[in-house]
Amino acid sequence: MIRVERELTEDADDAVRIVSGLLRRGDHGEAFRERRTSVAWNASEAGLLHPAFSDERGTAIRIRRGADTLLLAREGDGPAALREVVRDASRRAGGSPFLKTRPKPTGSPLPPEAGEEERTAALAAALARALPDPRGITAALTIAHIRTTRAVVTSRALVFCGTTSRLVASGFVRRAEATRPFAFQSLAPFGAAADALSHALADAARPVPASGPPAGRVDAVFSPSAASVFWHEVVGHPLEAEGGERHSVLSRVPNAVVGPAGLFVTDDPTRPDLPGHYAFDDEGTPARAVPLVEDGRVTGLLTDRRTGGALSNGHARCSDYRRPPRARISSLVVPAGDVPPESLVERCGHGLFVREISSGSADPESGRFLLVVEAASAIRRGRLGAPLARFALAGDALSSLRHLDAGRSDVPAPASGLGLCVKGGDPVPVGGDSPAILLRGLAVTGGGS
Amino acid sequence: MTTGATRDQIFEELLAAAQARERDGEGAEIYERRGAALEVEEDDDGSRVTESRERGFAVRLYRSGRVAFAAGGPDGAGGLLGLARAAVLRSRARRGARAAPPVPGDARSPVVPVSAPSPGDETLARELLAAFRKFVVAAGEGAVALTEGSVALGERSERVATTAGRDVAWTSRAASLVATVVGRSGGGRFSARVVATAARPEELPLNRLARHAVDRVLLPLHGRPLEVSRLDLLLDSHVAAHLVGRLAPLFFGDEAESLLLARTRDGRDPIAAPLLTLADDASAPGGPVRTPRDGEGTPQSRHVVVERGAPVSRLTDLASAARRGSPSSGNAIRRSWSEPPAIGVTNFFVDPAAGVSPLDLLGGVAKGFFAALLLERPAVDVAANRFRLSVAGYGIEKGRASGRVSEAVVSGRLSDLLRRVEAVGDDLKFVAGAGGGVGSPTLFVPRWKSD
Repeated sequence: MIRVERELTEDADDAVRIVSGLLRRGDHGEAFRERRTSVAWNASEAGLLHPAFSDERGTAIRIRRGADTLLLAREGDGPAALREVVRDASRRAGGSPFLKTRPKPTGSPLPPEAGEEERTAALAAALARALPDPRGITAALTIAHIRTTRAVVTSRALVFCGTTSRLVASGFVRRAEATRPFAFQSLAPFGAAADALSHALADAARPVPASGPPAGRVDAVFSPSAASVFWHEVVGHPLEAEGGERHSVLSRVPNAVVGPAGLFVTDDPTRPDLPGHYAFDDEGTPARAVPLVEDGRVTGLLTDRRTGGALSNGHARCSDYRRPPRARISSLVVPAGDVPPESLVERCGHGLFVREISSGSADPESGRFLLVVEAASAIRRGRLGAPLARFALAGDALSSLRHLDAGRSDVPAPASGLGLCVKGGDPVPVGGDSPAILLRGLAVTGGGS
Repeated sequence: MTTGATRDQIFEELLAAAQARERDGEGAEIYERRGAALEVEEDDDGSRVTESRERGFAVRLYRSGRVAFAAGGPDGAGGLLGLARAAVLRSRARRGARAAPPVPGDARSPVVPVSAPSPGDETLARELLAAFRKFVVAAGEGAVALTEGSVALGERSERVATTAGRDVAWTSRAASLVATVVGRSGGGRFSARVVATAARPEELPLNRLARHAVDRVLLPLHGRPLEVSRLDLLLDSHVAAHLVGRLAPLFFGDEAESLLLARTRDGRDPIAAPLLTLADDASAPGGPVRTPRDGEGTPQSRHVVVERGAPVSRLTDLASAARRGSPSSGNAIRRSWSEPPAIGVTNFFVDPAAGVSPLDLLGGVAKGFFAALLLERPAVDVAANRFRLSVAGYGIEKGRASGRVSEAVVSGRLSDLLRRVEAVGDDLKFVAGAGGGVGSPTLFVPRWKSD
């Protein structure tokens, strides 16, 4: 990736001059450069099938003038693309920078990185390990290794945001009795990510239990992985700054006590081991950990430059250069408690042990949320019981936080089921790290989607 | 069809380079897309205008029954054939099936270069948003506010050429409206995000979407939960369309064919009631997709997959059609230029030809439930033959609405629901779904009992 970094930053002085020349007094703005290469495979239960390479490059410029924002995006990530987009922006925004036209260089796509064959072999082996006996199983998956490199040009500096490398898989696994949607994402080094994919796929291919829990109110112990999804939907999304008069069920009550004493929830993009990691956000602001809940009290809000101005706390994120950055979650971190996990199960008495949540959604206005539980077991008399079929759990953010048991397990773990968050149609990688928790009074609403 | 434009050297050079290797047993398909889109977004914090233009090229290379794909922008298009040639050696065919070779041209394929599309009109986008805001205010009677809305208008030009002689180009347009509305009452607040898509800006169903948005946030606040136990069920076209969309993959290529055969005893049993006909049609009136050709350049037409309850055909791309020994149905969909085409829908819908007025359907219900909208994505598992809809709507007594229902669960065996549809409305409406458009009229299912 050194070649890409060099190509995106070698005209730094020129780029900064061009961007600052575009902005009039009172304007704010920046240019975004992005290069995304991906090697994707169709895969079935029989292994990898057809490869697909892609190389996307783009440049965008955003100008903020008062309450209005203009974002123009064009293909290409070099000096010529920046000049073209600045020229178009100045026409639309009323400026007139003098930019000499330079011929566009004709480049070539990045050759597959060294080691591509080894990675393909590792991926094929991971699939074979996951589905050693594919009889009775139909899998239709797309597995992609995606590298994204971004740089932001402000009126003062060119900030190289770095390169992220992700292994992503999506599709479905079908057995005779049920179809399971499958989604996976890992930022780990390729070998470890392929191993994790193999385990996740093996889990997804297991026979699905026949019965779910009865509908009604229930207490539930959430595994560390499931708890991360809960924090994401219930604390993270409601505390993403939206601007204007829009407030969520949590942002309406700053400094209010909403959870038990000793509860701390922090959004931390600086944790390199979690998928939401970045060093600079997509506006070039340095990443910063932001405490959202401290000692049970709402204390923070995730902001970008639009909602926080110069006080942005580095949470502007976008799915690609064509989309404007917005304040978004990165990785939510909850410190460990001091209760052994089995004690939480005992405390629960009768209820559910939720292992994996495959998706969730929340309405920030009302605080209602829905979690689709992919793997769970019953808890009877303080002990784990039979595995359960897929179902959904619903609740209300304030009420769930109020009824959160003060005890948390003593071993936190990164979320395996949390990888990609889609908001407003824009997917961004997210992560979480949490201990197991005990929630009371959730509603089982039947089979999930 | 696009007319007039300068010669496109990149495309021509890629095609010429591919043709030069034809004698070595190598075939290729070259694809180009140019797109332009304008999005105007307004909220109480200001307005944002996003205008993007893109141009991308893709190559699919075929050799000895194997296929590989490579895509890049104009800066990197020159090396795509080399990338694909290196990759094709590592490609495998699915279950021993060979990839289809590139197809020859058809009679209606004039060679026209791809022109640069124009982004949408900003003034028009703002007018559409303003009109939608008015509709929301009127329908919500002051209890519902539009907090964020965006209108996107786009146009794209595409061209496909193969070393076997196909060379076609076409242009299509699309429009969408996405809005977040908030309902407020003494009972609390509720927000929802609603979406409408159309083939033309003027076809966006603004009034219908506004009424739907208002119901979406007020019914959960004002209604009461209902247990659906042995009630006559009316599924609004919006609810039914999403359910129908989840059936579409059953008819994709040859992948789920065994599943469909198992559900219908090798095709001897119907899959649905005799008055249900399912079709895919890229030119269906009111459908949000309107394209003359699919992502492989195959001309598109109406394609019936279920006729009077019985499955009769499948949606295919060139590869799956070749495996079945039939012509492609024109359902190869390219989500972007950087991804290979895959089988998908254009406008997939229940044919309303046998339909009656929704008011007539309502009048025939003695005691029932009208499911007006979905509260969550529908859960449909065709392998397990189960479905579950979390919906809100209205109770019905003697053909009239008797009360608002904030939440109800309609669930059960999917095959039972499809076979027990007793009447359909004539009010076909489309929503965005299944990667294209999915549509249905109102469906009437008597005496439905959810489990």
